[in-house]
Amino acid sequence: MLRYALFRIALVFPLLIGLSGLVFLIGRVLPGDPVGLAAGPFASEEQRAAIAAEYGLDQSLPSQYWTYVTGLFEGDFGRSLMTRRPVAGDLAVYLPATLELVFFSLFLAALIGIPAGLIAGARRNQAPDMVIGVSTLTAMSMPPFFLGLMLQLAFAMALSWLPLSGRFPFILTPPPSVTGFLTIDSILAGRFDALRVALIHLTLPAITMALAPIATIARTMRASTIEVMQQDYVLNARAAGLSPRLILFKYVFRNAASATLTTIGLYVGWLLGSTVLVEKVFDWPGIGLYATNAILSQDFNPVIAVTLVIGVVFIISSLIVDLLYGVLNPKVTLK
Amino acid sequence: MRLNRRDMLLGTAASATALSFSGLGPVLAQSGNTIVIGNQGAQSHFDPHAGQDYPTSVLMRNIYDGLTDVQDMPPRVVPRLASEWTISEDGLTYVFKLNPNATFHDGTPVTAEAVKYSFNRIQAMARGNNWMIDGIVGPDSISVIDETTLEFQLVRPFAAFLSVLPWISVVNPAIIEANEGGDMGQTFLLNNTAGSGPFTVARFEPENLIEFQRNASYWREGAGNTDRVIWLYVRENTNQRLMLQRGEIHMAVDLTSDDIKALEGSPGVNLVVEPGDRTFTFKMNTAYGPTADVNLRKAIAYAFNYDEMLRVSGYAHLMQGPLPQSFLGHDADLEVPRMDLEKAREYLAMTEWPEGGLSLDCVYVVGLEQERLWSLVLLDSLRALNIEVNIIAATWPDMVAMSTSPETFPAFFNVYLGVSYADPDVIAFAGYHSSRNGSWQNPVYSNPEVDALIEAARSEVDEAARVELYKQVQAKIVEDAPDIFGVIESAKVGLRDNVQGYSFTPIIVQAVDFFPLSVV
Repeated sequence: MLRYALFRIALVFPLLIGLSGLVFLIGRVLPGDPVGLAAGPFASEEQRAAIAAEYGLDQSLPSQYWTYVTGLFEGDFGRSLMTRRPVAGDLAVYLPATLELVFFSLFLAALIGIPAGLIAGARRNQAPDMVIGVSTLTAMSMPPFFLGLMLQLAFAMALSWLPLSGRFPFILTPPPSVTGFLTIDSILAGRFDALRVALIHLTLPAITMALAPIATIARTMRASTIEVMQQDYVLNARAAGLSPRLILFKYVFRNAASATLTTIGLYVGWLLGSTVLVEKVFDWPGIGLYATNAILSQDFNPVIAVTLVIGVVFIISSLIVDLLYGVLNPKVTLK
Repeated sequence: MRLNRRDMLLGTAASATALSFSGLGPVLAQSGNTIVIGNQGAQSHFDPHAGQDYPTSVLMRNIYDGLTDVQDMPPRVVPRLASEWTISEDGLTYVFKLNPNATFHDGTPVTAEAVKYSFNRIQAMARGNNWMIDGIVGPDSISVIDETTLEFQLVRPFAAFLSVLPWISVVNPAIIEANEGGDMGQTFLLNNTAGSGPFTVARFEPENLIEFQRNASYWREGAGNTDRVIWLYVRENTNQRLMLQRGEIHMAVDLTSDDIKALEGSPGVNLVVEPGDRTFTFKMNTAYGPTADVNLRKAIAYAFNYDEMLRVSGYAHLMQGPLPQSFLGHDADLEVPRMDLEKAREYLAMTEWPEGGLSLDCVYVVGLEQERLWSLVLLDSLRALNIEVNIIAATWPDMVAMSTSPETFPAFFNVYLGVSYADPDVIAFAGYHSSRNGSWQNPVYSNPEVDALIEAARSEVDEAARVELYKQVQAKIVEDAPDIFGVIESAKVGLRDNVQGYSFTPIIVQAVDFFPLSVV
């Protein structure tokens, strides 16, 4: 298993080189004048040339790419053309905010989706299955930004139970940043007041993001449960007089979970790429908005950096999913 | 300069707890003399010479000082670092006397040397607002007469000189030189300041907030009672509006017309809706393609449905020619095209396309809903002339690139022109002088007569003579019809009713002057 994991991790590098090359090329061949935009409307030719030189944009394409890739190995993602700040520093701020939201949403989704799917599968065509089926269909067809606005109106404006937006109130002191995840940092610092505040702020955006995955997870889990329930060994277990509860949780769940695990793994990448609307609605200082703004101003370095980071997170999450197969089901061997 | 977060926490713990645990309403109203301003101008640096966007202007107004200041409506120039000045008759020599009480944040006096250093720095960097003084202030223009007196010998007379000075900030040479870093301190100023202004920076979280703290030893009179201003980046307009309603912020500077409608009558909220600080026009391609024919442009200008444009604009008023109505030199008697299909057809008959039957591209900035609506009004208007309009959404960098040559420039180009200083020159020169060809403000329009008039007007010292010159500029431009003159959207600011001391100035409206603000 260790060899398998190392092999998969080694695969990351060629993938990253390919990914960076592709995004780099797309960024460079796009029409548009990012230097002109950064230089401002009154810039002279010399000023434009100076900015192009400052960012190495006057070099040949291969030489620009080489500089970029060698920089990557030193953790240097270059500087943003618009803000002039180092991209690595920006990522360190925005990435944890988005990851925290994505992981928290997926945690919520799994926590609700898996039991719901299991129950629906076990009680196929009975009342719980119907209720879960209708709810998941509704959840899947609800656009997240609309749901976000509705939740804000209900829980922040009308009921005043939860904050409207933001990640942490600016008048409070956040815990010292270690991981960048406010929840984890609060626990590390023993600041349970801050943990509570962080969780309260996570609630509405996480519910908004979790709804679609809850539905998908529940549906996948339901389908696998039904399939597993029809296996001979389940019939056998039933004939042997094992309690339905034991059969469901010990035998059915473990076998049915692997397809669901794949779904969850895929959602990590999907959610990372689709946080932008939720980030905007809830004023979440995350990577989605950062990337969108960079794309609109053709600010290449942040765009490439975000693409690479999402790529890496995606690869790592699918690796973890693969490793979990082995843990969950001893029949699966990884080579 | 850093504020201890724990100190701040102690002062606001009670209200903070209320905010975070229940999310309840007007919390900040009780948190002492702090004002929170919601905005969409994320700040990324503290260098007043490196930017010209409104977040950078916030720095210029609050962390730094310029020689002069601009205030009120209509805007007027008032003293700031310079307490008095004299101007020679030929308009070439300006002598400024600095306020002897002015000091930088480190306590050292603001000297004439420091002013000279700052002008030299922005010129050497050639960024930010340097364009305002480019070709006006030469490399040897400034001489220091004594500690607090300096003389500008301008390259040529520039009537708007006092109006641009608020936007050329003075920096502390000692701090910049100590942190020069091979780039004139630009890297240093990404996270630090070097000013003399009424506020310092206590906390900076990029793309989230800046916490400004009042400079207790500031030298100007008329300060409000706020100790602290939190400049909060709010990504979504609606949130800005809701936060203002809930009292989570005291001011919102990026409200839309819909927000204003929704806020009307909200208890505790005051609204300021005044003529704004940018014009909107459709620039036409006067140099290439069908619209190079002035008669076609006039036909279009007369076919355009201005009333419908105004209707979809929310809070706005129609432009009457190229200059904003509130500006010096605007000609109130100027006749501009208004929708008149008969006239439009007359002009069309003089073109190669008397029956229409052509298709023209109209490009707007992707995501700017207002521009899309106006483009639709254009599309609908030109149907009457049998002209098809092909609406294209493009990213702003693409549009900047299109502006570089007449061949790539579309028939119609949606463009806002910001009023960055209080003088008609800002619109006339940037928007209609041919030296700006190739830039997005005036990509193609060129008329030597208009150029000469604009140059004469910016050099003219006598105000009445200037007004007369701008009258001619406006008439000539209307005659050439390079634009469909559109609207000036109203500036929209929302304030809680416990905020006092705010006075509206139509120059870079979002860059609020914190100095006189009080909270009661």
